[in-house]
Amino acid sequence: MAEEDANWRIWLAAAQAGDRRAYGALLAAALPWLRARARGRWPTATLSDIEDIVQETLLALHRSLALYQPCRPVAPFLFGIMKLRGAEVRRQRHRHAARETILDDVPATSEALRMNPDQDAAVDQAAMQAAIGRLSLRDQEILDMLKLRELSLLEAAAVSGLTVTALKVGTFRAIRRLRHAMGVEDVE
Amino acid sequence: MSNERLITALADELSPVYRAPAPARLTMWWLAVTVPILALVTLMMGPRPDVLSLLLRPDFALDEALAVLTGVAAAYAAFCAGRPDQPGWKLLLPVGAMALWLGVLGRQCMSLSVSTQGGALRLHVDVMCVPAIAVAGIAPAVAMVVLLRHSPMFRTAHACLCAALAAAALAECALRLFHRADSFATMLVWQMGSVALFTLAGSLVGRAIIGRAQPNGLASHVES
Repeated sequence: MAEEDANWRIWLAAAQAGDRRAYGALLAAALPWLRARARGRWPTATLSDIEDIVQETLLALHRSLALYQPCRPVAPFLFGIMKLRGAEVRRQRHRHAARETILDDVPATSEALRMNPDQDAAVDQAAMQAAIGRLSLRDQEILDMLKLRELSLLEAAAVSGLTVTALKVGTFRAIRRLRHAMGVEDVE
Repeated sequence: MSNERLITALADELSPVYRAPAPARLTMWWLAVTVPILALVTLMMGPRPDVLSLLLRPDFALDEALAVLTGVAAAYAAFCAGRPDQPGWKLLLPVGAMALWLGVLGRQCMSLSVSTQGGALRLHVDVMCVPAIAVAGIAPAVAMVVLLRHSPMFRTAHACLCAALAAAALAECALRLFHRADSFATMLVWQMGSVALFTLAGSLVGRAIIGRAQPNGLASHVES
């Protein structure tokens, strides 16, 4: 632990008194040191694991500021936190790894990747609702009456006050605009 | 969130903290609360009529001293366990003290069994030991939980086990002043069994209480 800067004790004691600048300086100075110590302790860990361990150490340090005694060196305090939190992170990784399956070799279209049988229908319906929302109010009203609520032309004419012919033309145009809004090209 | 940004966020939300007392000082506080309570419990339960002559007997005094030693070592280890910079050997102090205590008790049991031609080995049912240890140990255990909850901590399971052992060891020390066992084997099995039971139960309860008190408010910083 000879790498400890003499200022660390002063900074950490000042941080306990609420000095944000000293605390920031300590954390900035300790960050590369923590990364190096983590790589030394867990040489087989991936880069992201090392960053997670360092992050957990920083958070645990923040919660445990009250535990530091200014008469003691800072490096063993930081390293002690890292050993305990790092071991916990590694244990969690191993526990999760036992329940995980690598998906790299599974085709994207595999049925195993579907979360539930209605998933595709639900996604399509949500996309169509969003597209209807982008149409004009008149188009939305026509589609709502004739396609969603499935009223007859005569019923829709009575509700809206439009003629049956106007409703037919309006429906044709609204559907064309809906197809366009959903990115579906018309086949001529 | 990257660690560089995390540092900035942590520094921005820093607020002053009360420095936690050192483990030795916490142990002294705990003893200052526990010893008068155990003295009171002993007086309320009625001390044995021969308590003064018992305390003058070297073997009994040694048992009591080792119970106190185990209790103090376990309390100190419990407070050290919560500190990340405390060395591992301090956490094992109660193991050594407990081994010494059990070793001395075992040796006394063997020598007594020889001198009484097996009389010391006769085992009697002494169910009262269990509630007596619980009554004597509850106040030290509560005091320990209060002191341990004072600050965030690490190695919670170890701390709780040591804390419960500390309470049970001092309770056993007090128990022998007001409760008489019919034979040494009865004392060894029922009283020390009660100590073990109290230690395990106290450890589980303490872990549940202290584990719930652990601060978790910074989890949002981990989200990226």
